[in-house]
Amino acid sequence: MTKKRLFAAVTAVAMVAGTFVGASSAHAADRTVTVWSPYKGGNLDLWNASLKRIEKANPGLTIKSVGSVDMAKSLAAINAGNGPDISVANGAGNLGWFCGTGAWQKLNTLVAGSNGINMKSTFAPAAVDYTISANNRCGLPAVGSETFGFYYNKDLLKAAGYSAAPKTTKELLDMSIKLTKFNSDGSIKVAGFVPWAGYYGFEMDAMWLGLMFGAKWYGGAGEPAFASDAKWAKAFNWQKDFIAKVYGGGDFKTGSTKLTKFVAARGDEWGAGHDFVSGRVAMKLDADWMAPMFCDPDGWALNPCTKPAVNFGTAPFPVDASIAATNYGSGLVGGQVMGISKGSKNVKDAWIVLKGLATDTQLAIDYANDNGSVPVLNAALKSGKITYPAIYQTFYNIAANPKSGYHTLKNTGEHLEDAEIYNFMSAWQAGSVSDLKSGLKDVALKVSSIITRNN
Amino acid sequence: MGAADLASQKTRKLKTPWVFIAICMSPWVFGFLFFTAYPMGASLYQSFTKFNLIETPKWVGTENYVRMFTDDPDFWKALKNTVWISAVSIPLRIAFALFTAWILTKPKRGSNIYRTIFFLPAMVPTVAATMSFTYIFNPAIGPINKFLEFFGIKNPPMWFIDPHWSKWALILLGLWGIGDTMIIYLAGLLDVPRSLYEAAAIEGASGWQQFRYVTIPMMTPVIFFSTVTGIIGSFQYFTQAYVAAGQVNDYSHSMYFYATHIYHEAFRAYEMGYASALAWVLLIFTLICTLIMLQTQKRWVHYPNGSLFK
Repeated sequence: MTKKRLFAAVTAVAMVAGTFVGASSAHAADRTVTVWSPYKGGNLDLWNASLKRIEKANPGLTIKSVGSVDMAKSLAAINAGNGPDISVANGAGNLGWFCGTGAWQKLNTLVAGSNGINMKSTFAPAAVDYTISANNRCGLPAVGSETFGFYYNKDLLKAAGYSAAPKTTKELLDMSIKLTKFNSDGSIKVAGFVPWAGYYGFEMDAMWLGLMFGAKWYGGAGEPAFASDAKWAKAFNWQKDFIAKVYGGGDFKTGSTKLTKFVAARGDEWGAGHDFVSGRVAMKLDADWMAPMFCDPDGWALNPCTKPAVNFGTAPFPVDASIAATNYGSGLVGGQVMGISKGSKNVKDAWIVLKGLATDTQLAIDYANDNGSVPVLNAALKSGKITYPAIYQTFYNIAANPKSGYHTLKNTGEHLEDAEIYNFMSAWQAGSVSDLKSGLKDVALKVSSIITRNN
Repeated sequence: MGAADLASQKTRKLKTPWVFIAICMSPWVFGFLFFTAYPMGASLYQSFTKFNLIETPKWVGTENYVRMFTDDPDFWKALKNTVWISAVSIPLRIAFALFTAWILTKPKRGSNIYRTIFFLPAMVPTVAATMSFTYIFNPAIGPINKFLEFFGIKNPPMWFIDPHWSKWALILLGLWGIGDTMIIYLAGLLDVPRSLYEAAAIEGASGWQQFRYVTIPMMTPVIFFSTVTGIIGSFQYFTQAYVAAGQVNDYSHSMYFYATHIYHEAFRAYEMGYASALAWVLLIFTLICTLIMLQTQKRWVHYPNGSLFK
């Protein structure tokens, strides 16, 4: 063989070999999945441990995790074209927007595929609902969830002659009249219950008010139901009646003014200054993750809750008597959601990681034990490995109730429908709305307009 | 060396300074192009599109501008609040700044200490100041209402919580932080020639007449400057209103201003195209007001050494 031919042959072999090496290098580099999450501290450690388990189960897969990243930062990166493969949102409120705009990729095919998930048998009913919008499933439940229930101060109730929480809105009103105490100047000293938008809950407040009366957010054709569903009007009239009777001696304006000042003087939400801990309010709706704080305002330790800062009990939401038979025991359930970002170049591996995170029983158990939140993964719920005090059972029952859930999610920007009904509730309770029907119609039109513009 | 060579050398020498100038200006030019011109151009383009930050902008022509004036009640609410805060806060700030600056010209000893004290509030970060004010003006536990009740006012205002009083609470916050404007007025007052006051005194002018016929005319350039900057600043009023509204339940949108509306549309409704259109309308509106002010200044602004604007 001549030198020239030998050289050509060696070069050809080197080029072919280099192609294979290059291809395998490229293939290995493609199996990197980036995950951005809002977790930090101990929760980030749990999250990363789960990612390590997924890596171990999938040789060749590399996962890069970044914590303390909120969804706003993730969205900015996605918009710029350099977002993560997987991002996590702290709440389900924006899911409609993520799905509608394609910020998160559609997962319907992946969920139904050979490596899919049976959503209904894997997750709690509420979690199946708050990860889908207009039949577009773009998210899976992340490990954190929140279940809202009813907290009551056992000592204050006992002093007023009550041994159990109210089950109906009428009982709630009657008990609140007896539980509420006034100062010598007429201002509220202890409030029985505060049905007030802006009292610690903010945009969640209209959600629970509607839930207590079984009011729907959207009608059969997908149109906003604030005006068409009479239960909304019933809910707001009940709120007005409550404020008048409990705080105003029968006069709504007096009650509203007193409650405005009472709420303005509320204690710090995080810590021993919270009104429920200090005994300033006897009954309150709040999330499951507040129980650790009521047990231990400084350390937030749920287990054991043998010497809580306030002697409290838990129960489901009181509901209107007309729906008590079917709806008492249910509640508001929301949670963190996660999805595969638009522009992800490795959707196949991202799905492996996403599914792994959503179905990691160990992660769900560890997170629940550490944070006091109810897992939405059925395998974790049935594991028997989650320890919690008896008072926490209420939240597990609420989460498992088929009537529990979140409102229907639509593409409304940053859940602007919540803001519209919340603003209305705020104006209503301040006495700024003279015509309830017309006001609710206005809310429905505004929400409808938001949906139309976004779709 | 011949004449042609000399001419060539002179031409080279003449060309060189321009290159040098361009190099020296380049940082500003690049900065302007990347951080001002490009964003403005992109914003102008986006104002004619439907753009939600995720999907590709979709050209919709003048739809955003039409919607603003025909189908957005929040636009009119925001505009009304903004015009209100401008119309009320600018004259009050001018009067208060002039008054405090005038007071600060009086002390013969310790004037620097007094000036520092009056200027300090202007150095407090806006967010911190606003949050502090919402506490101070808290209707239930704030010291202001406790003070008013002590002096017999039975139902003091609810301030930030009451839609009728919230903007007045913001005005008070602005007046508290008057230091930055006050210092400019102080400089202006100290610049008024003493000979004019002496001449007026000789003519028998009273203190008020001296203020009316000497101080005010000599201060008109400063007043003009603070009016123009006040208009521009008030049209972009955002931080104090946004923070205060976030601390209380501003359901009535009494503290919802034009810049808040831009922010809401861009980062809550995710309508960047519409927000861009709102921003451009604000720019045009501010420009018109500024040009009107520049035109009217010939009638009332007195420049001791003659005006550049003939």
